[in-house]
Amino acid sequence: MDFFITILEQGFIYGILALGVYITYKILDFPDLTTDGSFPLGASVTAALISRGMNPYLTLPVALLAGALAGICTGLIHVKGRVRDLLSGIIMMTALWTINLRIAGTSNVPLFSKETIFKNGFLEGLLPEGLLPYRTILVILLLTLVTKLILDFYMSSQSGFLLRAVGDNDKLVTALAKDQGNMKILGLAIANGLVSLAGCIFCQEERVFEISMGTGAVVIGLASVIIGTSLFKNLTFMKATTAVILGSVIYKACTAIAMRSFEPQDMKLITAVLFLIVLLISMDRKKKVKTHA
Amino acid sequence: MKKSTTAKVLGAAMLTMSLAGAANVYAEDAQYTIGIQQFAEHGSLDNCREGFLEGLKEEGIEEGVNLTIDYKNAAADMGMAGQIADSFAADKVDLMCGIATPSAQSCYNAAMDAGIPVIFTAVTDPVAAELADEEGNPVGEITGTSDKLPVQQQLEMIRTMLPEAKTIGIIYTTSEANSESAIKEYEALAGDYGFEIETTGITATADIPLAAETILGKVDCMTNLTDNTVVASLATILEMANEKNIPVFGSEIEQVKIGCLAAEGLDYIELGKQTGRMAAQVLKGEKKASEIPYETIEEASLYINSAVAENLGIEVPEDLSSAAAETFTEITEYTAE
Repeated sequence: MDFFITILEQGFIYGILALGVYITYKILDFPDLTTDGSFPLGASVTAALISRGMNPYLTLPVALLAGALAGICTGLIHVKGRVRDLLSGIIMMTALWTINLRIAGTSNVPLFSKETIFKNGFLEGLLPEGLLPYRTILVILLLTLVTKLILDFYMSSQSGFLLRAVGDNDKLVTALAKDQGNMKILGLAIANGLVSLAGCIFCQEERVFEISMGTGAVVIGLASVIIGTSLFKNLTFMKATTAVILGSVIYKACTAIAMRSFEPQDMKLITAVLFLIVLLISMDRKKKVKTHA
Repeated sequence: MKKSTTAKVLGAAMLTMSLAGAANVYAEDAQYTIGIQQFAEHGSLDNCREGFLEGLKEEGIEEGVNLTIDYKNAAADMGMAGQIADSFAADKVDLMCGIATPSAQSCYNAAMDAGIPVIFTAVTDPVAAELADEEGNPVGEITGTSDKLPVQQQLEMIRTMLPEAKTIGIIYTTSEANSESAIKEYEALAGDYGFEIETTGITATADIPLAAETILGKVDCMTNLTDNTVVASLATILEMANEKNIPVFGSEIEQVKIGCLAAEGLDYIELGKQTGRMAAQVLKGEKKASEIPYETIEEASLYINSAVAENLGIEVPEDLSSAAAETFTEITEYTAE
């Protein structure tokens, strides 16, 4: 039972990260490596604020804004500086390493003695006795659900529609007299805001900020997006955002199971193989569609 | 008929139970399970783990006999560290052992709510890591050993070895909290021995050649911390330093073996043993982890490599060579494990 709860906890936290990666990778068609820096950015902001005594719930919007700012920087480098998409992400990711160290003050900030969004007097007063052991998963579930619903709402708005058009058909955006560069920047801001929010939650769940925690974040995000969108492709009633979050849970379940039977040293290779398999399966389907047409 | 069968079964069951009871007394009762999480693949940390198992064995808790070990390496990945610790908690191990700061923290995070005691080792600054309070007492069911460097002894040793030297260079990784606190200590104490400290920070292994080139031009000698990234690339640094005839001091025995001039260092096997004995106390229920303050290794040992001294043309002072715990007469080829 604990085993499944752990998977769900991790899966939902990284699900928020995956939503961010979904926006850049699937909607904007932008391979955004800023993710590896904006995930720990959310964590460093959170650690710095909580250790200075800020209410843990207020760190959520602050981390979101910090991530959005990082996304805007990547966007400006790409759109205004005309730097290639991959390179703009790499530049921001590199810069964020130092920025994160500076914000947190040091490379490792523990939060064991501090109140977090999972452990505080308010929550303990709110929840009935029996539910207390499940407070972590309940809070994560709530946060992920709210994030998803807000994102769904945004996607169905006019601005969300334009955002989706940037990746698919940028001429349409121009035809509608909107600047597609600005739409890209907006998309990157939302995406990195979400990634940073995930970092904020992860840092409070682990009760520690560690500078290296962003390493590989983009890979986890991409794998979740691809698993989610290709596995649930035929379930047309399911929203892509739901599929992506479920993809993240499946990914975390796979790693948790793999961890039991393989050495953790081999995990990166297993991740790579898993990633490749899912990619091949989803590509195969695309081909079939084309030949039918 | 039926009754007698029941009686027989009962009798057999009772016999088995009493036999099992006797066997239990024989094997010193309970079976233990320990989840060991090591943060990265690293010679010193491997030694810690080896010593930890030896320390437990000294107290009669032996792997394969009455101890099951679940060993996992986090491959320097914080997310992985959290997941490993969570899986230990889900498996309800009797004790978790976290080797190096991030692993100790993630074990504590997972164990805190599950009520599992945690023993850590190779944590340089348990207070800064919030694994102990300001007075050094446990913050919960967690205790262990610290591998804080004997900075003062090291400076004293360097002064005796090189009476003329003025500047000591240190390369460190900006992402390692352990290194940062060690450097602060070096900077605070260097003045007492008439040294100046010159540091250069790196972010990854790839930065080492350039960083070494820069710093070697400015210093009279170098000293190492227990910095994971730097220690892993020590061979590169040693080669460049040798070209310039600049002595490099180490922080533990393994580094002296592969070509550092000398070290007032820790014996990580010894540190691990000390940790293992603490774990045994907790497992046997003699003391709770929250009742044992964390420990540091009492005495640093001096290691000297006379072959390196000869290559550098340095005469090792009599005081030092007689005080050395071990003197190596050859340089072991560096092999990545």
